[in-house]
Amino acid sequence: MRRGGCCGVGFALVCACTTTELLAQPPALTPPTQANYMLNCMGCHVADGSGAAGKVPSLRDTLVPLAMSPAGRRFLVQVPGASQSSLSDLELAQLLDWMVRNLSARAVPPDFVDFTAAEVARYRRYPLVDVRGTRARLLAATWERFGTMSGTASGARR
Amino acid sequence: MHTSAVRGLSVGLLLGVGAGVSHYACAQLPPEPVKVEQLATPPKPHWVWVNDIGFFAFPDGRAFLVDGDAGALLGMLSTGYSFNAVVPSRSSQLIYAPESYFSRGTRGTRTDVITIYDAIHLLPLGEIAIPPKRASIMPMLAGAALTDDDRFLLVYNFTPAQSVSVVDTRARKFVGEVETAGCALVYPTGPHTFFSICGDGALLVTTLTDTGQVAGRTRTAVLFDVMKDPVTEKGVRLGTSWLFASFEGIMHPLRQTPASVEAEATWPLFTPQELTQHWRTGGLQHLAVHSPSRRLFAIVHQGGPETHKDLGGEVWVYDLSTHKKVQTIVMRNKIGSIQVSQDPQPLLFACSLESNRLDVYDATAGRYLRSVDSLGQTPTVLVTP
Amino acid sequence: MHNPIDDLVERLARGMARRVSRRHFIGGFGALLFGAGAVPLLPVARGESRPPAQGTATDPGDPRTCEYWRHCAIDGFLCSCCGGSVHSCPPGTEASAVTWLGTCHNPADGHDYIVSYNDCCGKSECGRCLCNRNEDDKPLYVPGKSNDYNWCAGSQVGIAYHCSTARIAGLAK
Repeated sequence: MRRGGCCGVGFALVCACTTTELLAQPPALTPPTQANYMLNCMGCHVADGSGAAGKVPSLRDTLVPLAMSPAGRRFLVQVPGASQSSLSDLELAQLLDWMVRNLSARAVPPDFVDFTAAEVARYRRYPLVDVRGTRARLLAATWERFGTMSGTASGARR
Repeated sequence: MHTSAVRGLSVGLLLGVGAGVSHYACAQLPPEPVKVEQLATPPKPHWVWVNDIGFFAFPDGRAFLVDGDAGALLGMLSTGYSFNAVVPSRSSQLIYAPESYFSRGTRGTRTDVITIYDAIHLLPLGEIAIPPKRASIMPMLAGAALTDDDRFLLVYNFTPAQSVSVVDTRARKFVGEVETAGCALVYPTGPHTFFSICGDGALLVTTLTDTGQVAGRTRTAVLFDVMKDPVTEKGVRLGTSWLFASFEGIMHPLRQTPASVEAEATWPLFTPQELTQHWRTGGLQHLAVHSPSRRLFAIVHQGGPETHKDLGGEVWVYDLSTHKKVQTIVMRNKIGSIQVSQDPQPLLFACSLESNRLDVYDATAGRYLRSVDSLGQTPTVLVTP
Repeated sequence: MHNPIDDLVERLARGMARRVSRRHFIGGFGALLFGAGAVPLLPVARGESRPPAQGTATDPGDPRTCEYWRHCAIDGFLCSCCGGSVHSCPPGTEASAVTWLGTCHNPADGHDYIVSYNDCCGKSECGRCLCNRNEDDKPLYVPGKSNDYNWCAGSQVGIAYHCSTARIAGLAK
């Protein structure tokens, strides 16, 4: 983000506008974790996690099933978009928790355990090469508890 | 004029002409049939392909073949939507071009093909259908490449999922797609191996079987710091080494090993003094190598951080054995792409997105020779055949 | 040989080179100026002949210019010059949901906004108001931070790139 010479102009404008305008509607700050979702994930997975049909898989159906098993949780950290992001281990843990609780179309089970920075650090050390295959195997393994997934690799929308 | 005088004058003229150079009186320009030129084979060392994505007309990608000595256009190819670059085969008989087309120009059904062109007649011999996923990007040589045995053509895909399409050029068919999640582009390292660069600064090395299937994929360790000083994608190859430059001008040599790729010691393009003067390397194709003399050419400019795509007014030449700068070539025009011919008396070719002109220099003397203008709309990357 | 078409292309190309911004994949058009920081405010982007707009007190500047505050990370043709706006696509084009985002400082209220540069797709390039900047840009192997991709790849109509918007998505701080 470039501030440079714009600051001078900005001050002039702030001084020139009316008090009423300034006080009318202070903008609401986006919570930092949600802001991290926007800057690191929303570009492809879109605001509600539903992705783009045929191009980007939907997260809405699969976050909960994956977050309920160690292998699934490992996948959520190791998937390149997550593991290769510039987020710290703690920020990534908080982001995954936020995603499970806010983007899932499924109810979050009471036995869901929050991600921790230590857990994320452990998984993140081993990057994943076979992403598509691993995802398919993991989702197949969760069908017993969660039924069949509509969030398939082809990104079908729920 | 009086009629008889005219007649006399005419006769006189005819006689004069006839008496002078007598064969002209009977010579006439013979009618000419239209013929179609064809190119010499093998290609001359001073030829270069100027690829043009056509930034204001993406459906009309082109590649221009220029004779650097004659300063002439020899011919061109029409290469479709958001065109990257031609991939000449080492046999020199064929040119591959990964191309994309919409059935209605900018809409309708998208079809991606590898068009196989005859290098002598510049005509399509055939095409190989590939998944319509070819990455639509700022042109880069690493967008598509042949394996070292020329057998497999690799095409980087982005949908935004990342993968590589593998095409068997012998069987002339698409044989499979390699998932390269988190990693981009293709850099060949052997008959059936290549690497891609991953978002964490590691490399993904892929090995193919004799039929182009995936034999293995392994990641190296992290080789550079992506957040602090990433390398540009515009790596160049010298023998069994790939050379990448970082945003801040640090060279990262990567050496091929039988199974993988290893990082060698980095070295800086700029001295501490030059860094205080804000020298940086930048451009769309900012590096080139002359293999016989082991010299590296780099476009440089003076600018702040994140000017790695800025045009430059000079090309600095480095001896790859000593890592020292040995020459400065001042450019006549600001440029963003360079390429060097591989013969003993090399030419340095240079162009930019801002002009449809190719500049030609004597690479050894560092002397401007000539320009070839009117080459398409927005020339991007330069490829020697 | 003097060719009026070459003159036109050359003039267009040089005019667009004097722009700065970011993201989309049309990088490399001489992103000048911003390295040193001492940047003169540029005139209205080429291709737009109306007098510059002042904007509002809370959203200052002219979205048809490269210097407009939201364009800190844009790279492409400005939809505001193409029949669209910073948050709308021109008629007959489709917004790509898949996109790149940046964080830009609003000089009027002092806040940093999250800006989403959704491309509009499905037609040939608009060709007006090209704006290019490489702030916080990363190479292709970090796709989410790379302006060298045609992000229309993520649209349903496909890679026919027309122009780029600069939509407010959130407020960073």
